[in-house]
Amino acid sequence: MFAYTLKRLVQMVPALLGIIVITFILSRVLPGDPAIMLAGEQAPEETVNKIRQDMGLDKPLYIQFFSYIGQLLKGDIGYAYHTGHSVASDLASRFPATVELTLASILIAILVAIPVGIVAATKKESILDHISRVFSLIGACVPIFWLGLMFIYIFYSILGWAPAPMGRISGDLNPPVHLTGLYVLDSILSGDIIALKSSLAHLLLPAICLSTGTMAIVARMTRSSMLEVVDQDFVRTARAKGLRESAVVYKHALVNALIPTLTVLGLQFGFLMGGAVITETIFSWPGIGGYVTDSILAADYAPIQAFTLVSAVLYCGINLAVDLIYGFIDPRIRYE
Amino acid sequence: MKRFKLMSTLVAFSIMLAGCASSANPTNPASTAATGNTGTPAAAVKSNLTVAYSEGGTTLDPAEANDLTSDTLVLAAYDQLVTYGIKTEDGANIANTEDIQPMLAESWEVSDDNTVYTFKLKQGVTFQSGNPVNAEAVAYSFDRVASSSSGSFLYGMAAIKSVKVVDDSTVEITLTNANHNFLQIIAMYTFSIVDQKTVEAQGADYLKTNAAGSGPFTLEKWDPATEAVFTANESYWQGAPSLSKVTMKFTKEASNRVLLLDKGDVDMAIEIPPKDVASLQSNTDLTVASNASNRILFFAMNNNVKPFDNVKVRQAINYAIPYDELLSGVMYGQAKQMKSAVASNTPGFTDAGFVYEHNLDKAKELLAEAGYADGFTFDFTLGSGFDDWEDDAVLIQAELAKIGVTMNINKLARAQFLEQQKTNNLTSYISKWTSFVNDPGYHLGFLLYGKGSSNYINYSNAEVDKLWEEANVETDAAKRTALYEQAQEIITTEAPWAYLYEYNRIVGMSNKISGYAFYPDEVIRFYPLSFEQ
Repeated sequence: MFAYTLKRLVQMVPALLGIIVITFILSRVLPGDPAIMLAGEQAPEETVNKIRQDMGLDKPLYIQFFSYIGQLLKGDIGYAYHTGHSVASDLASRFPATVELTLASILIAILVAIPVGIVAATKKESILDHISRVFSLIGACVPIFWLGLMFIYIFYSILGWAPAPMGRISGDLNPPVHLTGLYVLDSILSGDIIALKSSLAHLLLPAICLSTGTMAIVARMTRSSMLEVVDQDFVRTARAKGLRESAVVYKHALVNALIPTLTVLGLQFGFLMGGAVITETIFSWPGIGGYVTDSILAADYAPIQAFTLVSAVLYCGINLAVDLIYGFIDPRIRYE
Repeated sequence: MKRFKLMSTLVAFSIMLAGCASSANPTNPASTAATGNTGTPAAAVKSNLTVAYSEGGTTLDPAEANDLTSDTLVLAAYDQLVTYGIKTEDGANIANTEDIQPMLAESWEVSDDNTVYTFKLKQGVTFQSGNPVNAEAVAYSFDRVASSSSGSFLYGMAAIKSVKVVDDSTVEITLTNANHNFLQIIAMYTFSIVDQKTVEAQGADYLKTNAAGSGPFTLEKWDPATEAVFTANESYWQGAPSLSKVTMKFTKEASNRVLLLDKGDVDMAIEIPPKDVASLQSNTDLTVASNASNRILFFAMNNNVKPFDNVKVRQAINYAIPYDELLSGVMYGQAKQMKSAVASNTPGFTDAGFVYEHNLDKAKELLAEAGYADGFTFDFTLGSGFDDWEDDAVLIQAELAKIGVTMNINKLARAQFLEQQKTNNLTSYISKWTSFVNDPGYHLGFLLYGKGSSNYINYSNAEVDKLWEEANVETDAAKRTALYEQAQEIITTEAPWAYLYEYNRIVGMSNKISGYAFYPDEVIRFYPLSFEQ
């Protein structure tokens, strides 16, 4: 397994190189001039030219590319003009926010969707199955921005149950001690109950909002793969040897049905990392999605490049992790 | 079995990690709970103000700041040599940009030819670091502006030739030529006086994310993703501010800013959408300040491109604009009819020559006279990012269709729009403009002077140019105003733009806030505000 992991890691290198080249070229070929954005609309041409020089954008593309690679090798991923901070510090503060949101939404999706999928499959064509299918359809169709605004309107504005949609923790509280950057986890680890309550309350609505799509996909995926599995010989054998129904379903059928679900979850994680923009904007969640969108709108190259690179690494990593987890779930899968 | 081992190792490891973590910071949770995380912190502290902003800002460097949030951050932490006075209009406090008041400069003398200004600094003023505010620091700050990326053009606009330190508390600024805007320009955030010693000790990048000023507030925290926090500078030379803490919360979603204000989770919110003004006004705990700003919106037509090279065609477009519908339907009454290329708040404004009204017959007549009786087709470029622009464009498109004119709307992202605009090749577009300096000369010099750097539609009228140039060197205010008035009348008649509206600047706030004043640069000054809690 070690050799396999190593092989996969080596394979990542050309993929990442390709990504670096493509993002670099794409971000520069696309229209939008960072110097103009930075200078503001009242700046005369000379100012814009001066900024262009200061940023090194007047140099030929290949020189810009090599200086970028040189920076990367030194571990410098650049400076974000539209926030006034280094990209590294921006990512350090925003990545954990998105990871926390994504993890929470995946967790909610798993907790809700897998049982729903199992019930739907074992009670096929029952009323529960139909209800679950209708809800998955709704979950897959409802636009997140609408759901988010509705959540805020109902739970914050009318009922007053949810905290103000303003970031990750109440404004009058200090964030928990920085360990992982995930507020919920950090406050558990540091035993800060007040911060835990507040950060959980802030996390709940956006996480549910973000999880709806995943929930729908996972529920349907679990249902269909369960349906495939329950008809197979080994399940019949398990029943025949007199196992309890719960043992048949959870120990024999589910474990075999989880592989496709896991694949989907892995892909969803990557997708949600970049796709949480809308949720982040609506709930003022200081995550990476909004950051990258702003960078694109401001034609700010460094953060766009850094984000693509980091998420590519992350994506490869998650895929690898998913492949390795297959082996734990299904001992028939071997790595060479 | 192997799997179990791995799992148990993992569990043991994570427990160990957790143990380390909590023992490494044994006091922190407790101290957190003591400082902030107790039930009733607000009651003990006096007047904390929370304000919802839309953007998080891009820099704290005064010389580089050119967006609303950054400008606000700078003005909270820094002082300038001079500042604007305040006047009261219809019961509202409004900055008077022509009335220049002393700030760090106690007094100043102007040479007879208006080219040398000698500033006498107030004695005993110190930066927040404790270093004295002296002539060296002033010269240093001005030099920083001269060599900055964004601010350097203002240095040029101010016509500063040199800044000389006469003695510790005297600075002499020489101009290349007499400039009636000089004092107004150096009252801007760009010309904030920075603490030279601190900057030199900390390095050039220090000011990007830190403040080193003598201003009323000390920066505690600035994170563009979430919030900026200021605390009162208790030893401020003009007296400690009445607010002890200001928190700016960055909330991009406009509907959320409205909700937060309505629920009382923030005490003040800027950039309230016009459609939400009525609902906020029904909340008796709130006041909505809706002031006519200097931000204008116009429909620009490229004077080099057929058929907009024909003055009659441009006038016809002016008669086809559904003015009232734009004001009431798009802006919910939170805007004012624009009647000159210059905002009506700007000294020297005149609506002379503005004869336009929504009159499609008149528009058709003019088109026929111009030889376009059957209408024509043209391209219109819509920059994204402003909801009202799109509504305006669609309404105008519908009106133009009635006079046989087809307007093709092409939508571009803001960055692309600005890039395209600078090529001077766009046929027509809608754009906003707020002049940093509240002066018709500054304003027209950018937008409609033949060689103006933001004259993207190639408007060129020899007489307007001549009047502008004459006014520029005219030192008598009344004569200057007369020249600008003539220029405005010609422009309005020649109609290089169709005037749409002047935006209201809408700020919603709790009734308990007092001292709010509107500034034409749209930046809120926190120092004069007070908030009873």
